[in-house]
Amino acid sequence: MSGLARPIAARTTGDIMIEADGVSKVFGSVRALDSVSVSARRGTVLALLGHNGAGKTTLVNVLVAALPPSSGRAAVAGFDVVRQPWEVRKRVGLTGQFASVDAQLSGRDNLVLLARLLGADRRTARARADELLELFGLQDFAARRPGTYSGGLRRRLDLAASLVGNPDVIFLDEPTTGLDPSSRLNLWEIVEGLVSQGTTVLLTTQYLDEADRLADSITVLSAGAVIASGTAAELKATVGQRTVTVTPDAAADPAVACAAVRRAGLEPVVDRENGTIVVVIEASKDIAVVLRALDQVGVEATELTFGEPTLDDVYLTLADRSSGIAAPGAGTS
Amino acid sequence: MTTPQLVGKPNSAPPPAPEDTPGPAVAWDGSPFLTQIQVLTGRSLRALATDPSVILFSLAQPAIILFMLTQVFSGMGLPPHFPEGVRYLDFVMPAVLVDNAVHSAIQSGIGVVDDLKNGMVARLRSLPVHPSSLLIARSLANLVRAAIQIAVVIVLAVTVLGYSPKGGAGKLLASAGLTLFLAWSLGWVFIAAAAWLRRAEPMQNLAVIAIFPLMFASSAYVPVDDLPAWLGAVARANPLTYAIDTTRALALDLPGTGSLLPAVLISAGLAVVGGWLAVVGFRRPLTS
Repeated sequence: MSGLARPIAARTTGDIMIEADGVSKVFGSVRALDSVSVSARRGTVLALLGHNGAGKTTLVNVLVAALPPSSGRAAVAGFDVVRQPWEVRKRVGLTGQFASVDAQLSGRDNLVLLARLLGADRRTARARADELLELFGLQDFAARRPGTYSGGLRRRLDLAASLVGNPDVIFLDEPTTGLDPSSRLNLWEIVEGLVSQGTTVLLTTQYLDEADRLADSITVLSAGAVIASGTAAELKATVGQRTVTVTPDAAADPAVACAAVRRAGLEPVVDRENGTIVVVIEASKDIAVVLRALDQVGVEATELTFGEPTLDDVYLTLADRSSGIAAPGAGTS
Repeated sequence: MTTPQLVGKPNSAPPPAPEDTPGPAVAWDGSPFLTQIQVLTGRSLRALATDPSVILFSLAQPAIILFMLTQVFSGMGLPPHFPEGVRYLDFVMPAVLVDNAVHSAIQSGIGVVDDLKNGMVARLRSLPVHPSSLLIARSLANLVRAAIQIAVVIVLAVTVLGYSPKGGAGKLLASAGLTLFLAWSLGWVFIAAAAWLRRAEPMQNLAVIAIFPLMFASSAYVPVDDLPAWLGAVARANPLTYAIDTTRALALDLPGTGSLLPAVLISAGLAVVGGWLAVVGFRRPLTS
């Protein structure tokens, strides 16, 4: 079905596909976006991280040319969202927080409808719908209405709907909010598959682990302003680290255990109050290093917990550092 | 599920075209305006076809009103200004159809609110789809629906209640056509309301507030001359009175088709103003 593809010449790698430059959006007296700048290259994932009301959805709406910015400039796929909204719309797909499909049409008919609106004739539209249904494992549900779908299925249909027109850039607004873990993983895999084929993705999320897993770069929004941006590693480095907390068995000497971990090249800290040892780690394989070191001196870990910095840690740390930026939660809901 | 591989993505080599490659290459840049209207109208009608309960309920309403009115009021003496030689059934039938037109007009607005609520509008806005095509499609789909309803109600009235308007089939058709024109133009008023209000509750309140006074303070159920003087004055200013008088005069072959021109002009005016307000209101950004 080569007819479904865009001309290859239109896609070269390395172009900046999403760009916002000093974008502000004011609703009455509320400053929903305050001079926000982001950018993403082709075939990468940009995550917008933030709590409810941080301005993530507003920025997405500006970038898909649904909402004009009050000031600043934004371009998607090289087209200005204010001056060339029609060109932008030809190249983007949007999956909102709530499944945006017609509840009265079957899953398949929803996809056919969108393909027809985008210019396909009936046959091509049906072919495209079937292709997407298969791709997303929705064949068995094709004839059913989205109202009968589970949350994960709905989200998959919604994502399929936003891919009908082969968009260059897709916007996923909190794609996994409310999904069970396996649906979440499934969606992540779908996104990774798209990106591997050159699609550029902007993802909004409240979950640091989601941004960590998918994003090439992360921008943290709070009360409409960018409070940090960088790669997941850079962000975590500014926030604090991942830790492993080990509870040694009662017979073990914490000092011996500590020494063993130190010899393995890590920095343990003894928490006397809780009787635990906290080790800052760089990578997941360091967990094995810790356990091996303890095993060598005959210390058994009765409990092992893994600590990831959370979005709250990011907010707290960053809000602490930059005076003048509201504390987490303030004005964000 | 495995990681999906999108067929037709440029980074993968395009597969050789099979024998039955569907249609010409698609640019996915948006179909022509008229095609969008056609596709979206088909979508609204399809919802009707796939959900017979919608049709049944929307038919039940005019049917119930017709039976109630004719059964409740036929035993009462006719008021002094009642046209001679006309049964109450014949008199009230055009009004029932106009009432149906008003309800169907409200449905156009409710449909737009539904699309705003379920995210359909948000999705279409992110695509190269002309915003007004959705509104026009809603309006056309409701016109089709109103036509089906009117046809069914007329058939019911003729077969079950013995409705036989003097004007004959031709004038009855003209009367029904005018009623449909009213349904369509009033539909634009409610689509405009939906485009500005954007929520179901105020729409429903508006509908209730609009329907009762509009229908009762008119020539719908009682001749205007038989209303109390003040109400008669209101009824004479009510645009629906023109529509009802005209459709009634046509169907029953009574004098009074002189109100045809004002009725058509009022409807056309409502459509133009409503349509303009609808497009302007709908164009405003979605804020949430």
